[in-house]
Amino acid sequence: MAVCVAVIAKENYPLYIRSIPTENELKFHYMVHTSLDVVDEKISAMGKALVDQRELYLGLLYPTEDYKVYGYVTNSKVKFVMVVDSSNTALRDNEIRSMFRKLHNSYTDVMCNPFYNPGDRIQSRAFDSMVTSMMVQVC
Amino acid sequence: MSVPDYMQCAEDHQTLLVVVQPVGIVSEENFFKIYKRISSVSQISVRDSQRVLYIRYRHHYPPENNEWGDFQTHRKVVGLITITDCFSAKDWPQTFEKFHVQKEIYGSTLYDSRLFVFGLQGEIAEQPRTDVAFYPNYEDCQTVEKRIEDFVESLFIVLESKRLDRATDKSGDKIPLLCVPFEKKDFVGLDTDSRHYKKRCQGRMRKHVGDLCLQAGMLQDSLVHYHMSVELLRSVNDFLWLGAALEGLCSASVIYHYPGGTGGKTGARRFQGSSLPAEAANRHRPGALTSNGINPDTSAEIGRAKNCLSPEDIIDKYKEAISYYSKYKSAGVIELEACVKAVRVLAIQKRSMEASEFLQNAVYINLRQLSEEEKIQRYSILSELYELIGFHRKSAFFKRVAAMQCVAPSISEPGWRACYKLLLETLPGYSLSLDPKDFSKGTHRGWAAVQMRLLHELVYASRRMGNPALSVRHLSFLLQTMLDFLSDQEKKDVTQSLENYTCKCPGTMELLTLPGGPTLPPVPFTKLPIVRRVKLLNLPASLRPRKMKSLLGPNVSTKSPFIYSPIIAHNCGEERNKKIDFQWVQGDVCEVQLMVYNPMPFELRVENMGLLTSGVEFESLPAALSLPAESGLYPVTLVGVPQTTGTITVNGYHTMVFGVFSDCLLDNLPGVKTSGSTVEVIPALPRLQISTSLPRSAHSLQPSSGDETSTNVSVQLYNGETQQLVIKLENIGMEPLEKLEVTSKILTTKANPCSPPECTCLSGWLPVSMDWVVMQTVGTARGDWAEFQEKLYGDFLSWNLEETLAQFPLQPGKVATFVVNIKVKLDFSCQENLLQDLSDDGISVSGFPLCSPFRQVVRPRVESKPVNPPEGSKPGDPSHVKTLEAILNFKYSGGPGHVEGYYRNLSLGLHVEAEPSVFFTRVSTLPATSTRQCHLLLDVFNSTEHELTVSARGNEELILHAGECQR
Repeated sequence: MAVCVAVIAKENYPLYIRSIPTENELKFHYMVHTSLDVVDEKISAMGKALVDQRELYLGLLYPTEDYKVYGYVTNSKVKFVMVVDSSNTALRDNEIRSMFRKLHNSYTDVMCNPFYNPGDRIQSRAFDSMVTSMMVQVC
Repeated sequence: MSVPDYMQCAEDHQTLLVVVQPVGIVSEENFFKIYKRISSVSQISVRDSQRVLYIRYRHHYPPENNEWGDFQTHRKVVGLITITDCFSAKDWPQTFEKFHVQKEIYGSTLYDSRLFVFGLQGEIAEQPRTDVAFYPNYEDCQTVEKRIEDFVESLFIVLESKRLDRATDKSGDKIPLLCVPFEKKDFVGLDTDSRHYKKRCQGRMRKHVGDLCLQAGMLQDSLVHYHMSVELLRSVNDFLWLGAALEGLCSASVIYHYPGGTGGKTGARRFQGSSLPAEAANRHRPGALTSNGINPDTSAEIGRAKNCLSPEDIIDKYKEAISYYSKYKSAGVIELEACVKAVRVLAIQKRSMEASEFLQNAVYINLRQLSEEEKIQRYSILSELYELIGFHRKSAFFKRVAAMQCVAPSISEPGWRACYKLLLETLPGYSLSLDPKDFSKGTHRGWAAVQMRLLHELVYASRRMGNPALSVRHLSFLLQTMLDFLSDQEKKDVTQSLENYTCKCPGTMELLTLPGGPTLPPVPFTKLPIVRRVKLLNLPASLRPRKMKSLLGPNVSTKSPFIYSPIIAHNCGEERNKKIDFQWVQGDVCEVQLMVYNPMPFELRVENMGLLTSGVEFESLPAALSLPAESGLYPVTLVGVPQTTGTITVNGYHTMVFGVFSDCLLDNLPGVKTSGSTVEVIPALPRLQISTSLPRSAHSLQPSSGDETSTNVSVQLYNGETQQLVIKLENIGMEPLEKLEVTSKILTTKANPCSPPECTCLSGWLPVSMDWVVMQTVGTARGDWAEFQEKLYGDFLSWNLEETLAQFPLQPGKVATFVVNIKVKLDFSCQENLLQDLSDDGISVSGFPLCSPFRQVVRPRVESKPVNPPEGSKPGDPSHVKTLEAILNFKYSGGPGHVEGYYRNLSLGLHVEAEPSVFFTRVSTLPATSTRQCHLLLDVFNSTEHELTVSARGNEELILHAGECQR
């Protein structure tokens, strides 16, 4: 379902980006990269809201012809961006939300690893397999 | 309506469109000079009212857009100014004819027109004409502005009359239906009498009047008209015109809310120095209704404050309008322009999210097949708008698309230059700077895949532009900064192409200035190879300069009155961090060791690698090296010769890799360990080379503090043997050798260090001196080791320095000889046994405390050159072969270095293996036969393989054969 999953650091550089291998990888890079504009905008709009009441899920960032780009930002301003096929209409907002939550949990696990240096690329195998499961899972 | 004007903004709705065009052959320069002067007259306050007219000038306007003039009157060309050259009266009729032809093009909509004739003089020019102005040349035309003002005023009169005409046209029954070009055929045969049709006519006319009011500077009135028109058109579902009415409403409100303009710079300039339109609107508001004869019913029930849309409403209405436009495929351009206008408004309102939605929509508006140029324009403008709303990444994306469009394969003449320029502009959006310094800190953080792609495109574009220097620079940048992200294959490809480019144009360290103004800083390859450690090497021990103690003394004492001060100590410590506490010598080869490694998956050839220094003239001797693929740390020694004296600082190194020269400064290198990079260079000193008559030794002396020998020689001698060692001193330096001092030091480390050998020496120079009676004995010498040693080895080495010094000063290249005598006198007797024997005999000789055995020197009769007997074949146990080691120190100096008080120390290691020759195996006494005599019996043992004669003072001779023992 998800065709591309990316984790982006607070300073807006990618910590992790993976897309389905068959497609043009660079295209997704561009797509996620440009979506950061929207993420930034949404975060700055949200800035006024109280921190603890903040909704982490940013919702649909923007649709393209073939894909929909969703965003999620943690309290530490780490962004998750997910690109899904827009033909997949069965995918509801709630499912996306739960996928992000799963992603967030897995990311937290990565951060808990004492050998992981925050700011480095994520190379955790557990995280990788979780993303893989999200990408193949059929809805 | 096919050509969208992407520069449109909401204020344009209140402008009058005037086209300025050249007729005939007018040079571009002249035309734009006049055009500039004309366009400076962009707003006119109309004489008798507070209203302000805005003029929009275009030098090119497609006539088909003009056909939409009824739909939105600001699209209508109402004025035409023609500029022409005409030098003779003969050409005049023809020129005038051309002007009329030009007028025909926009004829249907023109209110007025003007012809500016340049160059014509004479009677025709004298005739006063309202529509033609004559100027002798392009410089002498001060009245152009005045002319334009008059012209605008005449436009205003027409506009005002049209407005009044339409607004007061209350006949009602015969309102003509305004329509856009593509609608015309739809209305054929429609019932013109139906209420529906009439309402439609009314609504459209109302909207048209609104447009005119807006153009005529009557903002409030236009708002009222627009509102009414919206009501009317909504009721008849005339969506296209409803959209237009809504957009008009928005435009008027925008003009009211944002007097500064939304169109960026041009808009801002337009309002400079003028009374703000909002104020103007306020001022004329009270009189608006009465003085201009507006329908009294227009705004009686609608409150004026309500007329103007709030900022939020503007956007809603824009959305609505755009949704109506989108119902008509032919109105794509209108829709697109409305989107652009809305985005500009939102940008001012800082509502980027909504603006991006509008833009997103604009992207999908499908116009007819666009030409490549239009596509580029479209993408560029999208990029610009995204930039405007702060979406830099999106902006960069579209700019890149535009760049790629410039060189699309379908274009016959690809614009590589434009492509390159656009690509450069995308760099900030991808947070990429072309300065490698920004990448030197820590690991690279960014969108490597995207950035790499961009760099590749830059390389390609610059190559196609025919600027290999640029492509080399970009390629080196790519290689330097993205090394960690390139796959092995990519690394190979990149270096391959880099090598190809550098064949034509070697990479340099100069700043490259781009046509647009920015410069490309040089890219030093600090990662090819990666340098891990830089260490300045001291000179080899024999060449190391030393300071004369006497000269150093006073310096130290004058430095500070304190023996110790923590402050000074601290300073010294800091200084030491930078400065290394050894010296280099002018004119001598100095070395710096780098630990490097090659990160590439293939062999890396580094050529012309040398040092970069400052402070002292330094002749760097470049080295070439070849590092194996993915090598580990690999030491490289760079050498150079300082040519002057002073303090030298090693700043970095330069390399040439793949044909790219790079200067790498150590300061900019991450993760480089240095142990200081500053060294003092002292004046030149001579160099001395030693060669001896003896074979070189494989043994190296055991290192003791501060003594490293340059040469070692070894000799094997029998005990008591003397040999001459001829030392040739050659001055191989460039300076004369003026001073020489020789000292020797004997190392006894090979002997049993715990118990110094207890032996006695027999004094005397004679080869054979054996005194049976008077023997020098030494008591237990354990307590006085130094003195003992002195005595023991005192004459081990002896020389006569004067002879050598007579040859001084030694000029460069000259040789002096120096002779050293080596004499071996050691004790090989087994002292314990001897003592045992003595005490067994129970004899004590008064006055001679014999607690230590003696040693006597016996000179072997047979002068035998040592034949190096194999170790195992030596008689007795191996410990019988004793080793003596000594170091001859040559302190020498000369030239300027000598003046400064420096000298050099060259040491020669001497390794002597002494083999026992004759020794006493037993000693015993015989009862004395007289009081004055004492008989001492000695068993003499010849341990050599040669026959020898032992002679004593009493001229007794004894011949000993090899291995024989005699009494």
